[in-house]
Amino acid sequence: MPEVRLVGVTKRYGKILANDKVDLTIKNGEYVSIIGPSGCGKTTLIKIIAGIIRPDEGEVYIGGRLVNDIPIEERAIGYVFQNIALFPHMTVWNNITYGPGVRGLSPGETRPLALEMLEMIKLSARSDAYPSELSGGTQQKTAVARALISRAELLLLDEPLGALDVKVRAELRHELRRLVKDLKLTALHVTHDQEEAMSISDRVIVMKKGKIVEANTPIELYTRPRNLFTANFVGEANFLRGAVAQVTDNGAVVHIGDDLQVMTNSKDKSLGDRVVIAFRPEFTSIGERETLNRLSGKVVDIIYSGSIGRIRVELANGDEVFVKKGLSFQRPMLGVGDNVMVSITPENIVVYPYPEGGLDRELALE
Amino acid sequence: MALIRLVNVTKKFGEITAVDHIDLAVEDGEYLCILGQTGAGKTTLLRTIAGLLKPDEGEIYIEGKLVNGVPPEQRNAVYMFQQFALFPHMNVWQNVSFGPVIKDRSSEEVKEVSSEILEMVRLADRKDAFPHELSGGMQQRVALARGIASGARILLLDEPLGALDARLRVDIRRQLRKLVKDQKLTAIHVTHDQEEALMIADRIAVLRKGTIEQMGEPHEIYSRPRSIFVAGFVGGANFIEGNVVKIDSSSSSIEIRGGYEIRVSDTSKRVGEKVVVAVRPEDISVGLEEVSGSNNFHGKIESATFIGGSIEYKIRLENEETVSSRILLSGNLKTYEATEGIVVSFSPEKCFVFPYPKAGLLQEIEAI
Amino acid sequence: MPLRLKGSAGLSKTVVWATLGALLVFVLLPTFYLISYVFVRWNEVRVEVFENPIIGDENWRQILKVLFFSFRLSLSTVAFDLVFGIPLAYVLARKRFYGKSLLEDVVTLPLVIPTSGFGFATLITWTTVAGLGGALGLNSGLIPLNALIPVVDVTFILFTVHVALTFPYIVRTLETKFQSIDITFETASRTLGASALTTFRNILFPLSLPGVFSASVLAFARSLGETGATLIVSGVSSTASIAIVRWTSEFKLATASFMGSLLVVTAWLIILPVELYAGRRARSFRIPYQLPTSLSNRLIKIERLVSRRLAYLKDILPLIVVMVTVIVPIVVVLNSVILYWSTDPYTGKVQGGVLYQLFGPSNYFSSVVRASSTSIIVALASTYIATCIAIPLAFVIERRWYGDFIRSILKVPLIMPTSSLGLSVLLLWGSSGFNLVSSGIWLITLTHVVFSVPVIVESIIAAYEGSEIQMYEDSARTLGATAYNAIETVSLPLIKSGILTGFILSFTHSLGETGATFIVMGRDITIPALVVNMVEALAIPAALFTSTYLIILSLILLAVIRIITRS
Repeated sequence: MPEVRLVGVTKRYGKILANDKVDLTIKNGEYVSIIGPSGCGKTTLIKIIAGIIRPDEGEVYIGGRLVNDIPIEERAIGYVFQNIALFPHMTVWNNITYGPGVRGLSPGETRPLALEMLEMIKLSARSDAYPSELSGGTQQKTAVARALISRAELLLLDEPLGALDVKVRAELRHELRRLVKDLKLTALHVTHDQEEAMSISDRVIVMKKGKIVEANTPIELYTRPRNLFTANFVGEANFLRGAVAQVTDNGAVVHIGDDLQVMTNSKDKSLGDRVVIAFRPEFTSIGERETLNRLSGKVVDIIYSGSIGRIRVELANGDEVFVKKGLSFQRPMLGVGDNVMVSITPENIVVYPYPEGGLDRELALE
Repeated sequence: MALIRLVNVTKKFGEITAVDHIDLAVEDGEYLCILGQTGAGKTTLLRTIAGLLKPDEGEIYIEGKLVNGVPPEQRNAVYMFQQFALFPHMNVWQNVSFGPVIKDRSSEEVKEVSSEILEMVRLADRKDAFPHELSGGMQQRVALARGIASGARILLLDEPLGALDARLRVDIRRQLRKLVKDQKLTAIHVTHDQEEALMIADRIAVLRKGTIEQMGEPHEIYSRPRSIFVAGFVGGANFIEGNVVKIDSSSSSIEIRGGYEIRVSDTSKRVGEKVVVAVRPEDISVGLEEVSGSNNFHGKIESATFIGGSIEYKIRLENEETVSSRILLSGNLKTYEATEGIVVSFSPEKCFVFPYPKAGLLQEIEAI
Repeated sequence: MPLRLKGSAGLSKTVVWATLGALLVFVLLPTFYLISYVFVRWNEVRVEVFENPIIGDENWRQILKVLFFSFRLSLSTVAFDLVFGIPLAYVLARKRFYGKSLLEDVVTLPLVIPTSGFGFATLITWTTVAGLGGALGLNSGLIPLNALIPVVDVTFILFTVHVALTFPYIVRTLETKFQSIDITFETASRTLGASALTTFRNILFPLSLPGVFSASVLAFARSLGETGATLIVSGVSSTASIAIVRWTSEFKLATASFMGSLLVVTAWLIILPVELYAGRRARSFRIPYQLPTSLSNRLIKIERLVSRRLAYLKDILPLIVVMVTVIVPIVVVLNSVILYWSTDPYTGKVQGGVLYQLFGPSNYFSSVVRASSTSIIVALASTYIATCIAIPLAFVIERRWYGDFIRSILKVPLIMPTSSLGLSVLLLWGSSGFNLVSSGIWLITLTHVVFSVPVIVESIIAAYEGSEIQMYEDSARTLGATAYNAIETVSLPLIKSGILTGFILSFTHSLGETGATFIVMGRDITIPALVVNMVEALAIPAALFTSTYLIILSLILLAVIRIITRS
């Protein structure tokens, strides 16, 4: 029985459609993230599932039960907030035991549960501290423990790491996944940080302007994004405009300008179609041996960032592509102005029909 | 002569010393990043340079002149807030032309400068809009335009990308640096995001508890970190404790848990010294066979995580220690089916060796 | 750890000193002069109060009796206010509904309505046939003037008036406090399984405790100092504030000033600890107690039931209170003016009609016109002077380390009994003191400045703290603006609405102020004082008309505030 099901959920704020007839299913035990630019409706959606906001249309099912008219406190969910929201007038211990307390458990029954929770988040020594005495990451861990102690089966996380430093985020996100999987819960995690979502989710849902645009496993989403917006939002990509010049058994051959042609595996295009081809900078090679799709160009810029080199190449037809290389094990002997060959294998190229509203509009991140 | 010079600058708030005797020199046209965690003192430092805070000790020189008593409006350094601070009661044009107007420039000059800069940030068509009607990225561009239009030579940026979505930041980073360089301005950019600093800065100053722990070009901070904190904070590292057992002319051997040995190219320690070896996840390769010339360890893959363009492995070594390896994907997504019999390799040149910290390794690592 | 950084540069020393000086001379000196008067003339006071050659210590006994009565009245008023005010404040702070701003305006009405006019309206509503009594078919008023409420032994009418006049303090203060607390805490509590009521008890209420205390203190002190309406409805009982008016008119200045000082000291002794508690506590809330489990569980079950079934109660009951104490009297007055317009509806006599009283032999109309001009001149002048002091003062409070201290001192004139204030100003500037200004229009103006400054300052501070002014100003400074430029071009526009709201609130309040004005007015009568005179001269229809006139004026001004703050 799926843990969460949304059917046709719609929410309006004046003229703005925050959620536009959203259908969504999350299976028991899944860790699902919803990502999208600010204003895409992901926070509204998670609040509707929690009962904090009422939808204008549509049904919400949790554990098979229709919950539209059920108040927040009876939905049996755990919720983690972006601004943490630990009760400032209570200690860590009282925060964590609050849930069981208002559900009628005696201190005797609550105590072992709380101790167990504190063990899990490794905070047993600080149960008497007040939130203001803890660091951001520790506060958020306490908030998670507070949400999980009642063993609610659904955990909703609303930009849980947004208020924390980058480094703390990187560590805490793994903790989150670990806790959820150890306790065999279902988790729905909303964030604008696609790297965060990709690294800990079983499935990632991409939203834009109130609608779900795509949903898939992180790897599929990254290597085979089904639309242009996703391709640009989930990691960086190179986009080249062109037209189908030839259709072969292996796939379409796209002409991108000047003499340059690119062979792809795309089998559903017709001759003359206007298209956009996309490929990841990590899968683009520079100066390697014989491969398909060798495009000549000139290096215009090299930026080293840690052990990653970002090499910008201007192709013969004026388009710019950039290549990402890990430099730990070899450093390409390249300098600005060098003539190079850039190559991408056909299986790493995704072809999209040219978008009606124009490429820049389609790729826009906000 | 450095454009900005700080000598022994200190600022306290009651018991807390936010900025602790800092010396700093910023060259004309430089893009400097001050990198540190929340609470390290970066914003305090920036505000002191701007003249919004008075230092308790020390001197600040801008363009060669002592500016300690000089009010902010005369320092030629514009401060940009994380939340942009666009004046809500003024539209884009009025915001951008605020600087020249308040400095009493002629109306032709005001018009010329403002139009030119609005063109540059590609917002000329939104000049009548009010800040709340614009997206985050646009607001940031208006804030930049306003700063540049004021004629200031120095931009003081306080987490300028912090209010933007993560993916947006990556694109805007490049545009920000380009704008600063094209205008030949000097920028001091404060951030807690080390990836951002590595990509955007000419030089980075790593700030910890009010002092500069290390300063240098990004490449240097990354490949020659001078402390465990810097190694862990900038770029991330695996830390392995051990003792030096042998030193020869070109390398040392460090004995680690379980009796295994690591060979490092650092020969500056003494035999018997307790040390910490740091290796970056990017420098650890994962395979099925040993690599000659490298340190090789056998182990088991505990987890493999796909993070955008890389795969991160957590491997448990033979001696029960865990290391993480992060490899950029390059063409094929090869993940290891078998989790046993894995060989982890890293070269001696890629190891950093630090003396074991007095307060204990855990404390140092937790601070990161 | 976020550190609170106050801007260091930004205010020239001259401006700061001038502002503080103006504060001292125009506001603080008059407020505290009364106490020093008592000390300086202690022998005189001692003799008159304790060792009077004619009546012994009878004056002292009177003082005590009156003081206790006042305390009983004010305490019971505040208790009642809290019971009904907390739910109303919660609804206003947390719920969105159609007509909400109208409700907020209705709740604010008693703050701006002239107290004497309002007292009069309440009087006829309950005690005369023109009010509820008549509406229910009786031949007389519903409740006699001196009917007592059991246990607390205060008259019903007096109690109603005090509740009406102090209710807004509780509701608006608590509404602001509730709103200032991030709703996410309550949402978190709900997701953890707590019903709305349980959440209120465990989360919102503890976190707002400082606000509850300061709201109660404000209401308590307001009730202690209430004079205008009380003058009209007190009947045979006497509050401390009325006693001061009476003794002053009998030239028992020593007794009056002793009573006044006693009241000021009491008021201050109450605010100070509460301000300190509220100030410090605001930073470190802790819950020291835990309910026993069985009690807690039973409470939780009840709360769950109430949250689900009886939620509407919290909406309706406070509304009834507001209706009965505020709306009904106003409606009654408006209705009566119409009824009494040309003749007394019961006797048919023309002499009992409004028109006759206004334009007939007594010619009250010209008094009304004269009083109007006096009132308006005073209101404009005092509000203008007060605004000039308040704007820089608000900045000083926000930016200097001693700002919190100044802010708490500023509360004293707000809550000081208005009659005491009047007496204090009279003694300071009038013939018994520096003899700079004699009773009359300018003394009234000086008096009004004293309580206008705090009102405008609080209004500006509310707007100031609602926007991130320091950030915008810092931005402007680094863009090249001098401190003065930055304030002029950036900060002032951003708090414009606060200044305007403060100005209008002050202006309206000044128009309707009775207690202090009564003492210092000499021959220059203001409209609210005119109402008191009319009532004492039993020219009821004239009083009706004047009260209505004043009330309508206030309503219009209130509507103007609403329009300004909306835009």
